[in-house]
Amino acid sequence: MSTRMDIPATVVEEAVSQGPSTVSEGEVGATAIFEINRLNVYYRSFHAVADTTLNIYQNEITALIGPSGCGKSTVLRCLNRMNDLIDGARVEGEILYHGIDLYKAAVDAVEVRRRIGMVFQKPNPFPKSIYENIVFGPKVAGWKGKVDDLVEESLTRAALWDEVKDKLHNSAFDLSGGQQQRLCIARAIATSPDVVLMDEPCSALDPVATYRIETLMRELKEQYTIVVVTHNMQQAARVSDRTAFFSVDVGKKGQRTGRLVEYDFTDRVFTAPSKRETEDYITGRFG
Amino acid sequence: MTDQRPDFHAALKDLEETTLTMADRVERMVGMAVRALVTSDQKLVAEVISSDDQVDEMYMDIRARWMHIMARQQPMGRDLRMMAAILEMNNTLERMGDQSVNIARVAGVTAGLPRDEVILAKLLEMRDLLKPMIRTAIDAFVRRDADECLLLPAMDAPVDVLNRSMWKHVVACGHDPQLLEWATRMILVSRALERVGDQAVDIGEQVAFLMTGDHQEFLRIPDDGSHY
Repeated sequence: MSTRMDIPATVVEEAVSQGPSTVSEGEVGATAIFEINRLNVYYRSFHAVADTTLNIYQNEITALIGPSGCGKSTVLRCLNRMNDLIDGARVEGEILYHGIDLYKAAVDAVEVRRRIGMVFQKPNPFPKSIYENIVFGPKVAGWKGKVDDLVEESLTRAALWDEVKDKLHNSAFDLSGGQQQRLCIARAIATSPDVVLMDEPCSALDPVATYRIETLMRELKEQYTIVVVTHNMQQAARVSDRTAFFSVDVGKKGQRTGRLVEYDFTDRVFTAPSKRETEDYITGRFG
Repeated sequence: MTDQRPDFHAALKDLEETTLTMADRVERMVGMAVRALVTSDQKLVAEVISSDDQVDEMYMDIRARWMHIMARQQPMGRDLRMMAAILEMNNTLERMGDQSVNIARVAGVTAGLPRDEVILAKLLEMRDLLKPMIRTAIDAFVRRDADECLLLPAMDAPVDVLNRSMWKHVVACGHDPQLLEWATRMILVSRALERVGDQAVDIGEQVAFLMTGDHQEFLRIPDDGSHY
């Protein structure tokens, strides 16, 4: 069972610095950054996710798809221990991050969340200026460096710099929805993570803003590993390298438990999946 | 299981049925074209050409509907494979129709010329081999039977052999200039029939892709002369 801990960040630092020697190889030579083994997640007595095993590979975009209640967001939140913040949440099995169990007692959950950033469904900038949105996280983490450079670099990586460089001290709320979401991405990468988790990052955006974020995701994967939950199968097909399809089992009392059905290269999943259940879902024959 | 996309799947089913109608028509055209050649029946020649006009209309109709479905529905999985198979089959069937027209046109221009019974018998033999091939390819598509498709390369092999052997029968007609003219044109017919055999195999490959998701070219019989 996971609990909140106050453990030095060095455990994660050491794990990351050990590099690929502690992780397994994917079938095309990709390096597994996460190894999820027999993951079960409970919210009190509710079994949300059952027996999920998969690897997530470095510098790839991995999409988690499936119907509502299939546990895809729950799995995503397990990857940076966001579920720790939910009362009654319990995680069984193991999630190895660079070969280290994220849920072992010595791991600092705050440090985990610094290294594994999160972008949410609705853009949620702080009620501060664009500039302060970027520097807030790094300052809290004790970052010492040239702040202006950090702001410019983060906003440039998030493809927002040219649009906001002349109004950095305006409120973040003055930005459009798409710009706010890119600001949230800039904020996430300002703390130098190596993984960015995205939970429905485009569902509140118009098509132009959506394509902008998708383009950004493809650019960012050169430096980061991205895991994205999306309801939009076309989006998963457009941006991801691999796709995990989750389905949901409904028990006698109506309880819904998510499980991984299929995990493969995205090209394969959307053209010729190996499981009938996946095929039925992506072709709209379900329910 | 509930179909969440009934309109899309109905449109896809319609497209498949039009493709099958086109396949049935092309199958008849091949038979008609050879019959026109053997009987020198000019009405049959005209019928083949007229049928091909209808096949061409179906070809254009399928392409237009195919494009609309792709743009509006973004099919995935087996629906996407079906769309890919239909597009390929549409091209293949249109060309099979064209080969039938090629044969019919030869039937038109060779009427009245002396003919060689051995060559005619060989062409009829090719037609008789092709008939079950085309039917097998279409039935495999209807039944979604990837195993049945695998029969096609072996069925095609004797067609290729007959095509390859045609030249020596033509050479044997060299003593009579008019007979030689007729016989030379029969090489075109033989070649057209051989192509129809290859195209039936191509349809089988599309059915295999539809069922497996793997693009594959069936192993053809080595040195079969199909490229001569």
